[in-house]
Amino acid sequence: MKHWKTGIAAVAAIASLSVAGCSSSSEQSPSASGTAGGDTLTGTVTYWHAYSADSPEVSTLEDTIIPAFEKLHPGVTVEDVPVPYDELHQKLVTAVAGEQLPDLVRADIGWVPELANLGVLEPVSDTMPDFQDLADKVFPGTLATNLWKGTYYGLPLDTNTRVMLYDASFFEKAGVAVPTTVDQLKAAAPALKSAGAYAFADNGASGWNVLPWIWSAGGDITDADVTKSTGYLNSAASVKGVQTLVDLFNSGYMPDIILGGEGGLATSDGLATNKYATILDGPWMYPIFAGQYPDFTVSASQVPAGDGGSISVVGGEDIVLTKQSQNKEAAMEFMRYLLSEDAQLAMAKVGQMPVLSDLGDQLSAINAYYAPFVEQLQTAKPRPVTPAWTQIDTILQDEIRAAFRGEKTVQEALDSAASQADVLLAEYN
Amino acid sequence: MSISQMPAVAPQTAGRGTRRSRPRVAAAGPRRATRAAYAFVLPGFALYALIMLYPAVQTLLLSFRDWQIVPGTPSPWVGLDNYIRAFHDPVFLDSLVNSAAYTAFTVPLQIIIGLGLAVLLDAKLPGRVAFRVLFYLPVVTSWVVVSLLFQYIFQSGDGVANHVVVDILGLSDSNINWFQNRWTGMFAIGVLGVWKGVGWAMLIFLAALTAVPNELKEAASLDGANAGQRFRYVSLPAIRGALSVVFILLFIGGFNVFISVLLMTGGGPGNATQVPLTYMYQQAFKFLDFGYGSAISFALTALVLAASALQYWWTRRRMAD
Amino acid sequence: MTTTRNRILTHGLRYLLLAMAAFVMVYPFLYMVSTSFKTRSLSLGDPTSLWPSEPTLANYADVLSTENFVRYFLNSAAVAVVSTTLIVLLAAMMAYAFARLDWPGKRVFFSLIIVGLTIPTMMLIIPQFLLARDLHLLNSLPGLVPFYVGTALAFNTFLLAGFFEQIPYELDEAMAIDGAGPWRRFWNLAMPLSKPAIGTCVIFAFLGTWDEFAWALTVLNDVDNRTLPIAIALFQGQHSTSWGLVFAASLIAIVPVLIIYIVFQRNFVAGLTTGALKN
Repeated sequence: MKHWKTGIAAVAAIASLSVAGCSSSSEQSPSASGTAGGDTLTGTVTYWHAYSADSPEVSTLEDTIIPAFEKLHPGVTVEDVPVPYDELHQKLVTAVAGEQLPDLVRADIGWVPELANLGVLEPVSDTMPDFQDLADKVFPGTLATNLWKGTYYGLPLDTNTRVMLYDASFFEKAGVAVPTTVDQLKAAAPALKSAGAYAFADNGASGWNVLPWIWSAGGDITDADVTKSTGYLNSAASVKGVQTLVDLFNSGYMPDIILGGEGGLATSDGLATNKYATILDGPWMYPIFAGQYPDFTVSASQVPAGDGGSISVVGGEDIVLTKQSQNKEAAMEFMRYLLSEDAQLAMAKVGQMPVLSDLGDQLSAINAYYAPFVEQLQTAKPRPVTPAWTQIDTILQDEIRAAFRGEKTVQEALDSAASQADVLLAEYN
Repeated sequence: MSISQMPAVAPQTAGRGTRRSRPRVAAAGPRRATRAAYAFVLPGFALYALIMLYPAVQTLLLSFRDWQIVPGTPSPWVGLDNYIRAFHDPVFLDSLVNSAAYTAFTVPLQIIIGLGLAVLLDAKLPGRVAFRVLFYLPVVTSWVVVSLLFQYIFQSGDGVANHVVVDILGLSDSNINWFQNRWTGMFAIGVLGVWKGVGWAMLIFLAALTAVPNELKEAASLDGANAGQRFRYVSLPAIRGALSVVFILLFIGGFNVFISVLLMTGGGPGNATQVPLTYMYQQAFKFLDFGYGSAISFALTALVLAASALQYWWTRRRMAD
Repeated sequence: MTTTRNRILTHGLRYLLLAMAAFVMVYPFLYMVSTSFKTRSLSLGDPTSLWPSEPTLANYADVLSTENFVRYFLNSAAVAVVSTTLIVLLAAMMAYAFARLDWPGKRVFFSLIIVGLTIPTMMLIIPQFLLARDLHLLNSLPGLVPFYVGTALAFNTFLLAGFFEQIPYELDEAMAIDGAGPWRRFWNLAMPLSKPAIGTCVIFAFLGTWDEFAWALTVLNDVDNRTLPIAIALFQGQHSTSWGLVFAASLIAIVPVLIIYIVFQRNFVAGLTTGALKN
């Protein structure tokens, strides 16, 4: 019963393409999205995302972006389905098993290789005619999160990274210069301690937390092709990067929230109350600080540089199209619209950093706090793009935490993590 | 042959003290009774079988394969490999120990406190309704909210729990990092379990206590029994059925603990507080190894069933005295 | 008189114990209530300060005016009421057959019910999802009902069977001699005498369906069809959560459950079986 539906969809898609070609001269949309002949697209496009209820993101999506798109393409209805973030992955997995996936998903970048490996995503670099044009417009680091075995399975939608946040007035009072390198941070730690604060705080030891330190020290987790980890994760540079943190912790300059276990003083609360001197965090912290601690002014600078420079970790979400979608043409059009300047800037206003690389100046005009993030993004790298990453991440966190607890040395922890990662990576190579 | 074929439910003619002679009422002819019985049972059972048993069988079959979630992908048969792997998996074995400890800690406490509260609230006390509502509030509060609050209470700094343990009770010199260790973490989760479950147990015991006919209590007190004796010799035997039911349900619930562990510690740090179901969830939904996840849950089910059967058999032997 | 003094002492002691226990039980709940009246609640405040410094109803206003919140509330109510009725009815019927009648195959069927108690439902999600898809019950609110009822039957049947056991058999026999068949005895004897048990069943069944989250989230996509727990979960953000909103929404969600509880716990009145023996 599904076959005839697919057949009709295919015919409709081909028909709309040919009609679009004919009528492109008569219907030109005024916006910068560059679409033409949009009124031949019809149907519904379902779009799953994890913007929370009552948030400015979801209202921008539903009140600004979608209506603008539907105006350009009156035959298309976009149905956005908000799913609580913690449950979205599970819902996707179940939907894969039951073949009930939507047309589009705003997927965490870590899920893309996993879904691509399962074969449920559309290889857009092959099937989307203008893919290369779109790919050229985005930050390379963000595009790389969509690559799996030589094909791209989605496009980046929004991005973010971690920079160093601190309270400038606290550093002034403590008489300490704001550190720009790892060595300066270590040197400043005792003075910060006497002023009553931990030099640095973080709440986990997974890739998101430790990779800036590893990369800035010149190390890495895997080789460029993501085939093996030994020789990279346990290299001298990587060990040095993690050792910095462990040394700070052992000297009492870092709080124990890095060991996990909930209920401790959160990084944001600690920074605002001057219990933590520096933290690494993303652009979403600015609205949070503004709401929760209106008297606190936060400053940002680049991740402390090591031997490898100042390299941070890329986060964000990609937009992917599912293979079982019945309305791929319209869905692809919506993808294009989401990557248009209009949509990207609209989202930028509510804290979602755009992936278009030439919007840099306009971004600082929207939110002055975007500037340090844009700068950091020039060199930021994504976490290893492999379906095995979820498991490797868990192993990495467990091993490093064991090093923090003193159960093994950093070298031993990373050796063990690397060999376990090798086994997992081998499954996909 | 008495009706106590049913596990752990004690037949009792309240107050009479003798075993009944005729187990049940014979309807007009055994056939009519059977037809009637099936009419009572089949509608519910059919739905139950469709919604629970059929998927359970499918999950069981799944556990014998290296199951792939994408339909159409071949899922090779691996026989008992998943089960063998489970019983050699230190994380799984530790998780069993964790849930056993959790059960041993929470079940007696919930029964004792629940029963105690029910007894206190059984009498005609003014304001009784208000108290019943208050004790039931933890049961209806959502797990997300409650876990958050308990994380806060058991935080490693100067939280409420540390305040009690260090300052008030003096059991420790320094603040305990509750969620950093396996047993302190399990203790915190256990306290949450007891707190949330007491009202539930209390409810069932209240219902059972109110079914005790007043005349029996009056007769006992006319015979000179005080409140404690009345409880021991009249009420307690009468609610033995409820006690067994509550015990079995709490026992099963203890081993099947899931959401509170997931929200409080996520099984961490580093698998220290994993229980079988959180481990199953991680394997199945995070790592997409559904065959192994199913094997874990069926191994757990088998163990719990065996334990319940043992408990029932032991209670039946006690009943026979 | 010493008896009065004893009575006062006993009563006083009871009250004291109850009050202490109640305080411990209720404290986290009070904390929830307190936070729901605060605006800046991205991080939870000091747990020992229960009285908010600037109490405000803003969270409640925000929650109630959030798109579709009231609709989700009504969706949950409809599903819960229908499911609870079916659960109580079917479970009572099954429990009666197990507890009061004798028939071939009873042991087998009851063992299968016990098995259902021990199966972790989380593991069944994917086969149940495929089943729902094949029955065309996906994405539909009424489609939740068979699944909620099916998963609640084992527990409630087991619970009620335990209670039905307690009814003295002499009463059954008396009615049978009068010519009442099993169905009459079910409706006119077992059910009325088991009001506390039925009340308990209603309370648990309603709470279970009202609060159910994982299955509803998996199966429902249409934004109009969703239930209340999903709405509350959606207030939690990816990077931060306004706990005042979440708590306010949770408190609003607790109200129907408490109403059901208060109404049905009136059945827990001592002496229901008093006098029944005399008839």
